[in-house]
Amino acid sequence: MWGELVDIITAFLSQDAWEIREAMKSEAAWLLGTIVTALGGLLVLWIYKRVPLLDRHLERSIMVWSYLAIAFIIFWGVIDRFVFQNQQPWSTTIPPLLFMIMAWFGAAFNVRLRTHLSFSEFRTMMPRPAQLGCLVLDAVLWFAFAVIVLVTTTRVTALSASNFQIVLGTDDVMQWWFLITAPLSFLLMTARVFENLQDDIRNWKSGAPLIKQAVIGGDT
Amino acid sequence: MTDATWITLISLGVTFFFMLGVPVFLVIAYWVIGCSFVLGLTLDNMGAELLNVFNKGFALLAMPLFILTGDLINRSGIARRLSDFAYACLGWLRGGLAMASLGACGLFAAISGSNSATTATIGSMLHPEMVKGGYDERFSAATAAAGGTVGIIIPPSIIFIVYGFLMNLPISDLFVAGILPGALMVVGMQLACWIICRMNGWGHLIPLNLNRVLKTAFGAWLGFFAIGLVLWGIYTGKFSPTEAAGVTVGFCVIAGLVSYPLNRIMGSRGERSLAEKSYAEMLVVEGFKVTEIPSIVVRSAQITGILAPLIAISVVMQQILSLLGAQQTIGDFVTGMGGYYAVLFTSMVIVFFSGMVLESLPVTIILAPILAPIAASVGVDPIHFSVIFLVGASIGFITPPYGLNLYVASGVTGVPYFRLLRYTVPYLAALISVWVLVSLVPDLALILLPNR
Repeated sequence: MWGELVDIITAFLSQDAWEIREAMKSEAAWLLGTIVTALGGLLVLWIYKRVPLLDRHLERSIMVWSYLAIAFIIFWGVIDRFVFQNQQPWSTTIPPLLFMIMAWFGAAFNVRLRTHLSFSEFRTMMPRPAQLGCLVLDAVLWFAFAVIVLVTTTRVTALSASNFQIVLGTDDVMQWWFLITAPLSFLLMTARVFENLQDDIRNWKSGAPLIKQAVIGGDT
Repeated sequence: MTDATWITLISLGVTFFFMLGVPVFLVIAYWVIGCSFVLGLTLDNMGAELLNVFNKGFALLAMPLFILTGDLINRSGIARRLSDFAYACLGWLRGGLAMASLGACGLFAAISGSNSATTATIGSMLHPEMVKGGYDERFSAATAAAGGTVGIIIPPSIIFIVYGFLMNLPISDLFVAGILPGALMVVGMQLACWIICRMNGWGHLIPLNLNRVLKTAFGAWLGFFAIGLVLWGIYTGKFSPTEAAGVTVGFCVIAGLVSYPLNRIMGSRGERSLAEKSYAEMLVVEGFKVTEIPSIVVRSAQITGILAPLIAISVVMQQILSLLGAQQTIGDFVTGMGGYYAVLFTSMVIVFFSGMVLESLPVTIILAPILAPIAASVGVDPIHFSVIFLVGASIGFITPPYGLNLYVASGVTGVPYFRLLRYTVPYLAALISVWVLVSLVPDLALILLPNR
């Protein structure tokens, strides 16, 4: 296991996509993925605490710019076709990739605001210790899922890079430039999970309500 | 233990998580992970699908764009103008403001595609006026909640996009099929509203004034133009639904940005009554500044960040369901009930009760891949079934315990959730009647389709 772990780290240091892909096939990827997710999440959380501007605006900015880019490309695609009798071939292939970025960073943002859809009728009626237990359960489930997605999407990204997959309709835009944002968004998500957990423990100690009404369009 | 036992235990386990309030996304994700282990599938499949779903789906892009459209027309003041028009047309009837609220929901739904956006926008705009106008506040909140149900039936509709994407059906056909049933839902609810208001004597009557109707219709021209643009583009095949969404977003942004300075130049900002406004003032809406766009987009992005991951994980869930042969098992059960009408009725009952405990999106992504092939096997047209399915799912928005619109209406009006439940009953009866009618008369969904 340790040997495989060293192989993965060496492969990443070599920056060779094929080597990374081969090294990531081993079971040690799960161990490394867990460590990276935990440490990466803590690091991002530390940065958030040091730079509140990033805490407030990082995911939002990525979401807003991806969203606007999608809308503009599609809108312009139609104008281009009807008015200028022309259409950029990438105008239908880049927006889905931007949508993917927006979706996963949006998922991380919603973890922070706890606005993912859930059936919380029973949870709100539970006693405080049980409520805290549910919130810890959420955190554990999000973290474990983040580990799984980080490892598996890194594998997909490495595969794409090693195959030199180009975004359709472009000459030299690599697909992995977009795909790598998925594992990164799950690192941010992990930071949000830790941040929420900190808040929950603080609320538990101070006697403040543990479960509050989630608000769409709220603030971090 | 056999695989079947393991999968039963996993399903029970995630159901327990669901009851504990674990997010639906995680509930589905852990079911997928558990079943993957049992079936000996690699988790890499899930990771790959979570990325590929987006790469494959240009059609799915219509969803975030129509969500954004809803927020843009709300912020720009176009939605307000549509509701003014609806009130001018219906205010002379007993319960006219409540009926106008339902009509405004229908008009708003024809540009946006979201039930909760429809409820939140129309509810927050018209609830204070309805209370001032002598309506019971619980009835007013229930009206906003019920009106929002048409948000996903009248095109464009986010759930129709998801349904078409999952079931590989042409989204433009689904949109067209939703027009008549959506209009019927509005009319059915208005009828129920009129009866209730007459019985209770609610609402102040305003005389029908042609000048007022024309003025408000003129003031709502941007809204009508946007509705026309979407329907014309999709119906004639000039745009795909995604392009129609992109064009509508572009139109709403331009309308909002151009209106803002014009509105200030005319000095018509602030609360002035319609009678005081000139036709020229009615030409432009309130609009918004460039600096306001990020705050509008963030809200839409947040909603997309809830829905899109759910769709992605549900695509993986569908694959697992296929491998498990779930469709076959449930299919055998449903077809065992009998022929065409028995299958239709059983499907409707399943959708109705699922809608009581689940949001429409999970209902669609879990049940549609199971029920639609069964319905097709007994001769139900897939487009017709999609409308039956989604009208049923939309009714779930006002059925407790998980009636999303009830929560939204409660949030925007301040009326406690449990207090407004009783007042949704007449609307529920009207919607169920329309649902049965739509399921028995396929032409209501199919007659407008251009290729039939």
